Amino acid sequence: MYKRLAALALGLALLCGCGAAAQPQKETETVQAAQEMRSTEFFAMDTVMSVRACGADEALLAQAEALVLSLEEELSTTREGSAVYTLDHEGHAELSERAAYLLGRALALCAETDGALDVSVYPVVRAWGFTTADGSYRVPDAAELDALLQNVDYTRVLLDGTEASVPEGMEIDLGAVTKGYTGDLLTALLRESGVESALLDLGGNVQTVGCKPDGSNWRVGVKDPAGEGLLGALAVADKAVVTSGGYERYFTDDAGTLYWHIMDPRSGCPARNGLISVTVVGDEGLYCDALSTALFVMGTEDAIAFWRAHRDFDMVLVTEDGRLLLTPALAERFTPADALRYETAVIADA
Amino acid sequence: MNTKRITKMALLTAVALILFTVEAQIPAPVPIPGVKLGLANIITVYAMFALGPADTLCILLVRVVLGSMFSGAMISLLYSLSGGLLCYAVMLLLRRVLSERQIWVCSVLGAVAHNAGQMLAAIAILRTTAVAVYFPALLLSGMVTGLFTGLCAQEVLRRLRKA
Amino acid sequence: MLKTRTWILLFAAAALALGLLSWRLLGTPVEGTVVEVVQDGVVLREIDLSAVREAYSFVVTWPDGGSNTVLVEPGRICVAEADCPDGLCVRQGWLSDRGAPLVCLPHRLVIRLKGEGALDGVSR
Repeated sequence: MYKRLAALALGLALLCGCGAAAQPQKETETVQAAQEMRSTEFFAMDTVMSVRACGADEALLAQAEALVLSLEEELSTTREGSAVYTLDHEGHAELSERAAYLLGRALALCAETDGALDVSVYPVVRAWGFTTADGSYRVPDAAELDALLQNVDYTRVLLDGTEASVPEGMEIDLGAVTKGYTGDLLTALLRESGVESALLDLGGNVQTVGCKPDGSNWRVGVKDPAGEGLLGALAVADKAVVTSGGYERYFTDDAGTLYWHIMDPRSGCPARNGLISVTVVGDEGLYCDALSTALFVMGTEDAIAFWRAHRDFDMVLVTEDGRLLLTPALAERFTPADALRYETAVIADA
Repeated sequence: MNTKRITKMALLTAVALILFTVEAQIPAPVPIPGVKLGLANIITVYAMFALGPADTLCILLVRVVLGSMFSGAMISLLYSLSGGLLCYAVMLLLRRVLSERQIWVCSVLGAVAHNAGQMLAAIAILRTTAVAVYFPALLLSGMVTGLFTGLCAQEVLRRLRKA
Repeated sequence: MLKTRTWILLFAAAALALGLLSWRLLGTPVEGTVVEVVQDGVVLREIDLSAVREAYSFVVTWPDGGSNTVLVEPGRICVAEADCPDGLCVRQGWLSDRGAPLVCLPHRLVIRLKGEGALDGVSR
């Protein structure tokens, strides 16, 4: 029997000709695709900003950065000599046309949101310690807040053409709309220069110009307010995606109570009306920026009522009790990162 | 060690090597790395039941080392060795508890162990767990090929016993 | 020990479970567009497939001899040519059609989807 096996072995060995010969190595040209996505990153408005634009040259990116820096110089609340600084300290100021436009729009949005957004809440924010980076947070007492709230009223900000004035003791801050407006002006600049595809990340405000170079939607993540990760991703084109959340800046007092930086202008205290994060998706950065703050202040019910009355934007709400609410148009644009973490629901049309 | 035993072992090693080399010429049925018929396993199973553990280990080791040299890819030595040794260990445990007609069971579990060992080696060598998604498929293929080679070995044993 | 019939039943159940699991794991394409080309545990390249507008290819050589030619097209990637003994990496086809990474064991090459990097920006 073993003889037969041996014969078989020999036969097979002859058949297969002892292994495969090494194949000759092929020469293949390495071709790199022309990827014209250019980007720049810079520090402005106390945050990191990045501009990624398809087809832009270095000169255009430099122009974009210069535009942001010039806006900061004009609109900063803390920079001496800025238009807003002058207005706050001298009670009146002559604004540039774009600053006047921004203030006008901001005041209109304060009215539209019935004071949920209020540009004059700045002294209250400062009293809580949120305007400085040194972390000197404190809880102001009721008397102090009452005194400060006397001067919180956007209706007393006067704007006549490019002339602005505020009453004695009032200070305004355009921080809730500046980054959104900056995004709009950058978008216009890029568009005028022929850029059809770009992504701006202005310290967490994401604004997209057109769609991606390959024609697909941009995928914009939304931060999870309750952790380090993501809530999910939105597929968008030509939209601004702006999020406001209590997680951005906050502190806890000795008793363990959490205070965050988004103030309710009516109470002078951090807005706790059921929401921990609001993401607004819309065509205009300024509008989205203003609404993300205003809707956060309004709380779940009023935010939904506001959306039903306007319908010119979309939103993702995360509530304190663990629900994730989407407007219908976002239902198919939003992919949750972890479908089980939040109870997801689509907001009914009426 | 007597001449007859050495001859037997050498012959079986040669047959295993040939099966191994022949198989290398056959394209894999599915493009999943690590999936193959494992014809040489027939010899391992046969030797385990006909000759005993010590001889089987010799045959296995010589076949794995020479096979890798013949195929020209020494890297495959690590995969074959980790798979082969794990397979051997499983067979060693099983050979006493299985009856003559259950040799294929030994082969199936051996082949599954072989593929599991290969997968572990792949994760260690590639330094990524990304390949682990292939794990169930590899175990399944081990069951199928193990069944085939096991039945072959069982049949060879039966016929050689008769002869 | 166990009867032959018990073994058969046991194996059949295991095979069924493994089959279903494999089908689920390998059959569903993974989301995402950013891929990593990894050799020997080192990330050689990171490519955003959605940003690729013109097809191109590059060669990954394995120091001990051999190479893989990787083909990149808009939205997809594959190994076009390779001189590894089994050639499985080429037969695995396009990465986008599968739930599993492309693997060339002999050249220690893995092409896999990178989960999170597929985002263009994060709103916060």
